[in-house]
Amino acid sequence: MKRVLKLIVWLVVALLGAAAFAKIAFERGEPLNATWFVVAAVCCYLVAYRLYSAFVAAKVLVLDDTRATPAERHDDGRDFVPTNKWVLFGHHFAAIAGPGPLVGPTLAAQFGYLPGTLWLIAGAAFAGCVQDFVILFCSIRRDGKSLGQMAREEVSERGGFIAQLAVLAIITILLAVIGLVVVNALKSSPWATFTLAMTIPIALLLGLYLRFVRPGRVLEASIMGVALVLFVVVAGQWVADSPSWSRVFTLSGVALAFAIIAYGFAASALPVWLLLAPRDYLSAFIKAGAIFSLAVGILFVRPQILMPPLTRFVDGTGPVFAGKIFPFCFITIACGAISGFHSLISSGTTPKMILRESHARFIGYGAMLLESFVGVMAMVAACAMPPGVYFAINSPPSIVGGAGEAAASTISSWGHSLQAQTMTDLAHKVGEITLWNRAGGAPSLAVGMAQIFSSTIGGDRLLSIWYHFAIMFEALFILTVLDAGTRVGRFMVQDLGGRVWKPFARTSWMPGVLISSAIIVALWGYFLYQGVVDPLGGINSLWPLFGISNQLLAAVALVVATTILMKMGRMRWIWVTLVPMVWIVVITMTASYQKIFDTNPRIGFLATANAMVAQIAAGKIPADRVAEIQRLIFNQRLDAAVTGILAIMILVLIVEALVHWYAILTQRKESVLHESPYVATQWAPDYSGAAHGDD
Amino acid sequence: MRRASKTAARLLRHFWRGLREWCGDAAYESYLRSPQTRSGACRTLTRKEFYVEQLNRRYSRPNRCC
Repeated sequence: MKRVLKLIVWLVVALLGAAAFAKIAFERGEPLNATWFVVAAVCCYLVAYRLYSAFVAAKVLVLDDTRATPAERHDDGRDFVPTNKWVLFGHHFAAIAGPGPLVGPTLAAQFGYLPGTLWLIAGAAFAGCVQDFVILFCSIRRDGKSLGQMAREEVSERGGFIAQLAVLAIITILLAVIGLVVVNALKSSPWATFTLAMTIPIALLLGLYLRFVRPGRVLEASIMGVALVLFVVVAGQWVADSPSWSRVFTLSGVALAFAIIAYGFAASALPVWLLLAPRDYLSAFIKAGAIFSLAVGILFVRPQILMPPLTRFVDGTGPVFAGKIFPFCFITIACGAISGFHSLISSGTTPKMILRESHARFIGYGAMLLESFVGVMAMVAACAMPPGVYFAINSPPSIVGGAGEAAASTISSWGHSLQAQTMTDLAHKVGEITLWNRAGGAPSLAVGMAQIFSSTIGGDRLLSIWYHFAIMFEALFILTVLDAGTRVGRFMVQDLGGRVWKPFARTSWMPGVLISSAIIVALWGYFLYQGVVDPLGGINSLWPLFGISNQLLAAVALVVATTILMKMGRMRWIWVTLVPMVWIVVITMTASYQKIFDTNPRIGFLATANAMVAQIAAGKIPADRVAEIQRLIFNQRLDAAVTGILAIMILVLIVEALVHWYAILTQRKESVLHESPYVATQWAPDYSGAAHGDD
Repeated sequence: MRRASKTAARLLRHFWRGLREWCGDAAYESYLRSPQTRSGACRTLTRKEFYVEQLNRRYSRPNRCC
């Protein structure tokens, strides 16, 4: 009887999800309510978790709860800490959820709501979650080894080297692109710039408190910090209203880029307890609170979706970024559906803290489903604003013809009616000087979030506070990724440098710390500066580069996962990781090819460079701008070279994997699995972690 | 009624513990409870030492994603 009831419940969930999906996909003409998005996503996630992840756990990975995990065998209270599964889920989710699932779907909304939403849900269920889950499992079985170590041991030395290079590439490009998102969010905004600048002294204060006054009392310090941050969000309005202070905090894009570069260097070189860690605590609390509030706000307000399911820009002529729906929708969505970077977390801290193998399903697969849901919410927030406003905020001036009447008329000619006055009024309401040409995703997401929040609490009166709260939330946790990433990049540079000259690898040697920090900051700082001065807005070239490097890392992770499944003798189920791997390689290679060789200057890096060369040759560029244009030409060629290198790395990896797989299948090479030996668990079946065990 | 309040209190206690574990507030207690520390094989770190050492370890590898 119970079984039949269960079956009926799951059948209802599945049918409800299918109906919501049908509504989203086939509704034309009338505005759609955002509740349908939530219902479709949640039902699909439930079914995917209940059926597909259970199948992967039982048939493909054969999780074994009698086996002691690394947390049990090496429990040292430092790296290896047996942790309750709900707490670890929170840890894992806080680590994987970055700006990607917020910014990517917001940018991809230019194709309409349908393609992005479909990929967010399907991509997560069949690719992203599987990658995170399988890599977490593989790392648990190998004492918490990293992706690079597993690639070296299970695939080949070259595979490991490619994984290491991919990590460095993704860190460099990621930091540049998220830095650009912050620049575009803070540009000409004294309120937002003041608020974010104030988070630095607040973090320093917290750092000193946690180090000298009450060591390690993170919770009380974070509560104080969050209260101070909320206060400076409100205080930002006073700064913006004061003519003299407003001038101090109104910065250009270039000035902001240099400020962020200096901040990245400081965060990398200063002791971690002083700036980086306390900012991370603040960010974690505000991130959790803002995401939860957005979910509640969407359910409470149930906004209408004003963006059409498909826009005319599926043909590749989009103003936010150029390129057809295939492959650029998939490259742009990135982390909300699948992110190679997650495999570093799944093979980093999490496997060392997991209590039982079966928890890997909930933590690896489940946390990625939640990340995908964050992406769906970002899509809803972007699509709930009038499309004309969305395009006005996210299009660079070179595409829409500047700001004001001219830009409004261009956007209206695309079929999305817009009055220039609408943008002036909106900017005034949210307390900004202008909202035109604020590409990068953060300002439009903040407008969307502010509209949802203000419909719940405060109405138009609080719209400006909510907008700046949303900007602060985005910028704060983007900068947390930026400083933590710079520090990790610094360690990688020190590690590489140490192979040439040993003292360089010593993390306590100050000259080494400063030089390696300078190198990694210069690497991403150059791309950031390039993005800021790019006449097409920077996002057009940098975001696809980020997407490509992120998918490269996903390809590495899926190759490692497929190889391990093959060695485990699970040939029958190998398609579980092989199909997503092939898909990722196809979209990444297609995007790489188009970004390098496409003849449309808005898409192809080389075509852009050639167009500029032709303009100089034809004497169309004034003499005083020739040097500047030549720098842009160099940048476009550099981007083409970087894309080419990433594509070659993918090809080498695939060839390497194919040769290795052929050798295993034909038994020319002994298939050696580098798993840790089986040790039976000593824990009782109901043991739920050190802090919870005494209940 | 008493049973409901007991359940609520238990849930709150769990939530509080979970929150402390999640944000790192309870990390030192976990360290003191670990078998390696209890065995006395190494010198037990003070709360201050543990805090700095733990941060240096945590932020030397990817711990925040895109």
